Amino acid sequence: MFSKLALRNVTRSLKDYSVYFLTLTFGVSIFYVFNSLESQWCMQMLAKSAHYMVESILIFMNVFSAFVSVVLACLILYANTFLMKRRKRELGTYFLLGLPTARVSLLLFLETLLIGLAALVTGILLGILLSQCLGLLTIAMFSAYPSGEAFGLVLSGKAVGKTALYFGVIFLLVMVFTGLSASRARLIDLMQSGRRNEEMRERPLWRSVLTFLAGVALLLAAYAMLLLRGLLYIDPLFFLMLALGTLGTLLFFRSLSGFLLRVVKSRKKLYYKGLNMFVLRQFNSRIHTTYLSMTVICLLLLLAIGITACCVGLNNTIEQSTASAAPYDLTIQNYSGDTVRVDISTRLTEAGFDTDALLEDSLDFLLYYNDPVLTGFSDEEANAAVSLRDYNALMAMQGKAPLAAAALPALSREPVLTGYGAFTGLAVVSDETTARLSPRRQVFAANYRGDKQAAEDALNAAYASPDFHTEETSFHLGTRIGVYMENMGSKILVLFMGLYLGMVFLLTAAAVLALQQLSQAADNAPRYRILARLGAPEKMRRRSVFTQVFLAFFLPLALAVVHAAVGMTAANAVIAQVGRVDSAASSAVTACFILVIYGAYFLATYCGSKRILRENG
Amino acid sequence: MEPILSVSHLEKVYGSRGNRTTALSDLSFDVLPGEFVGIMGASGSGKTTLLNCVSTIDAPTSGSITVDGTDVTALRGAALSRFRRERLGFIFQDCNLLDTLTGFENIALSLTILGTPAGAIDARVTEAAALLGLERVLDRYPYQMSGGEQQRVAAARAIITHPALVLADEPTGALDSKAAGQLLRQLSALNQTGGATILMVTHDAFTASWCRRILFIKDGGLYRELLRGEQDRRSFFSRILEVVSTLGGDGADVL
Repeated sequence: MFSKLALRNVTRSLKDYSVYFLTLTFGVSIFYVFNSLESQWCMQMLAKSAHYMVESILIFMNVFSAFVSVVLACLILYANTFLMKRRKRELGTYFLLGLPTARVSLLLFLETLLIGLAALVTGILLGILLSQCLGLLTIAMFSAYPSGEAFGLVLSGKAVGKTALYFGVIFLLVMVFTGLSASRARLIDLMQSGRRNEEMRERPLWRSVLTFLAGVALLLAAYAMLLLRGLLYIDPLFFLMLALGTLGTLLFFRSLSGFLLRVVKSRKKLYYKGLNMFVLRQFNSRIHTTYLSMTVICLLLLLAIGITACCVGLNNTIEQSTASAAPYDLTIQNYSGDTVRVDISTRLTEAGFDTDALLEDSLDFLLYYNDPVLTGFSDEEANAAVSLRDYNALMAMQGKAPLAAAALPALSREPVLTGYGAFTGLAVVSDETTARLSPRRQVFAANYRGDKQAAEDALNAAYASPDFHTEETSFHLGTRIGVYMENMGSKILVLFMGLYLGMVFLLTAAAVLALQQLSQAADNAPRYRILARLGAPEKMRRRSVFTQVFLAFFLPLALAVVHAAVGMTAANAVIAQVGRVDSAASSAVTACFILVIYGAYFLATYCGSKRILRENG
Repeated sequence: MEPILSVSHLEKVYGSRGNRTTALSDLSFDVLPGEFVGIMGASGSGKTTLLNCVSTIDAPTSGSITVDGTDVTALRGAALSRFRRERLGFIFQDCNLLDTLTGFENIALSLTILGTPAGAIDARVTEAAALLGLERVLDRYPYQMSGGEQQRVAAARAIITHPALVLADEPTGALDSKAAGQLLRQLSALNQTGGATILMVTHDAFTASWCRRILFIKDGGLYRELLRGEQDRRSFFSRILEVVSTLGGDGADVL
């Protein structure tokens, strides 16, 4: 009978407290997705050529997971405390009926266990689907080098174990807390929990207008500082800017409802329409207790939007940098080229890489030390020199325009090496001048013919064979695919970190907001009962509930979006030196995540709040 | 004259098969326009059930209730809400006013729900407030008003839409005798000069003595009817007390 009671309570909880379940499920699935990366196809593909990147991604994810699990634990505890508050009367009844404290604690224990198990299973199932979405997103971001491999749904046993372990600990904590709070509760407090004292204060008009103006002024000052100074200078003024922004947001929310009320009140047609008056008053009466949480939620949303958008956007910047870091499919640098020259092409062929068959074009050339007296360029401007003939051949391989002899000596910033070893500038000098410069390095640049991946594999095999290397030579091989994979690794790291943190912050903000709204809805039930008796039709009451929930969700989001837009503009100015944050793509992805998570919470809250209308006919 | 409220053969049964409680059985009465009718009975007599049925909050098991020509037992959903806001006015013992709205706004709420043009609202609220002597509390919130003032604001809210019938459920239940007297004097004035039809449920003989006619309910049926006629309030009060003394408990057991 006892477990039956627990089961019945839980099934009712699933319906009544959907927000709690939603939070648990989302938390589990996000946690699972970012801990199952190891077995994801994109990581396995990456592991082929940039193994160390995979390792660092996994280490980062582990560190972040520890942080995230603390955040989620706090959130779940908060949600649970809230749930218990709502059930005080029910618990009081159990005590009143003479159920021993230990049994009540056991009842709650069983309930938490059941809900936890249900959320764990649902969350992991959702997580498997979500990681598939993440895979698709990653595919969409890597336009070049599509993986030919088919990839399907992956279940990572290790991640399931880790998720179960972490959340098991969190649930255990929750159980201990609820058990403790149940055993320490006093019956009289439980039974009288319905009574509340509420004080209504109305601030004079001039004060809310002044506060509102002050808030807006502070925000504008913070925006101006941000746009003028940019994001990068972290000094006392930077923290002043953050403080101004936070204070401005706080004042904005504190005064907004009073300000709104006054504005609408002066327009009688709007104020006296349907339940507008009631909704506004309702909003205003709550703001004194909620402006603080609205501010925190707005800032959390800002973090979520900012992190997600910047990370997704930055990715496209990195994508562009691949082209400049890899002008050829491969370059082999002979670091001992100043003393020993090697016929690299022949050696490759001997080592098993047929250069005639596998290479489209190639060039074996020398780089010289820059001599400011001969080239006319300082060492800061150019730290290497190349002959005009070699330079024009290199440009021809890249499909770029050659340099005329009349323009010499010239300074070129065109990339000529793939991978490590890029030069700040290259002094292009006449073929005769090079005779007087001392050689620095021998370089072999080439492009593959036909199937690049097959050629790459053959090259790697040849390069690894002992035939290729001798004691007196020291080579460095850079390939375009290698550079690409490396960039892809850092891209994925940035992207995943951003998504992970962004989603957790978003989840936290939305869950806290939803719980607050639901508790307000419960307090509002008697008010809506009066409205029903006065004959307000259900449609009108439903709209009123919708407006209340909508305002609570929309206002912090709206201000956070404005904050983020300004922040992104400033971030763009910084990143503009490297590339550009692709605002369209990043906004789209960010909008999607917000829509899914925030939207789900909004709907759950609205449905939960709407239920109070049905309770009283 | 056509009755404004007509209750005929009303029956309300709670519970299901095997466990039935009859709250109202075969109750019939009429209320004419402009009447001030009181309903009295011991607790458990069914008077609250009757009021809930008339006010469309509860549905009767059988029988019919007609308000101003409309059979309210047949109303559902939107039509029911519409009927409530257009034809009925409510004054309840508690949970009357919305604590987040001022007195003025509480009264105006009935009108905005009805969709009254914004321009007409100020004047009508002021008028109704004057009728109940509420000019000074219009800008206050419910928690800043006395209990009597709160009930008078509720009364103003109930009559401002000119309903066919004002229903009052123990309106003086939470008031001290002075505030109760003031509220009843004003309800009575509303009835006599404003022409409002009022149906009031009470268990208090003093409160009931302000009515023009009283229906006594016992065990779900009509027990007696008392008309004030030309009597003064004091003698009407003592006649009410006489009936009440036979009402509570079973007199036959005592004698």
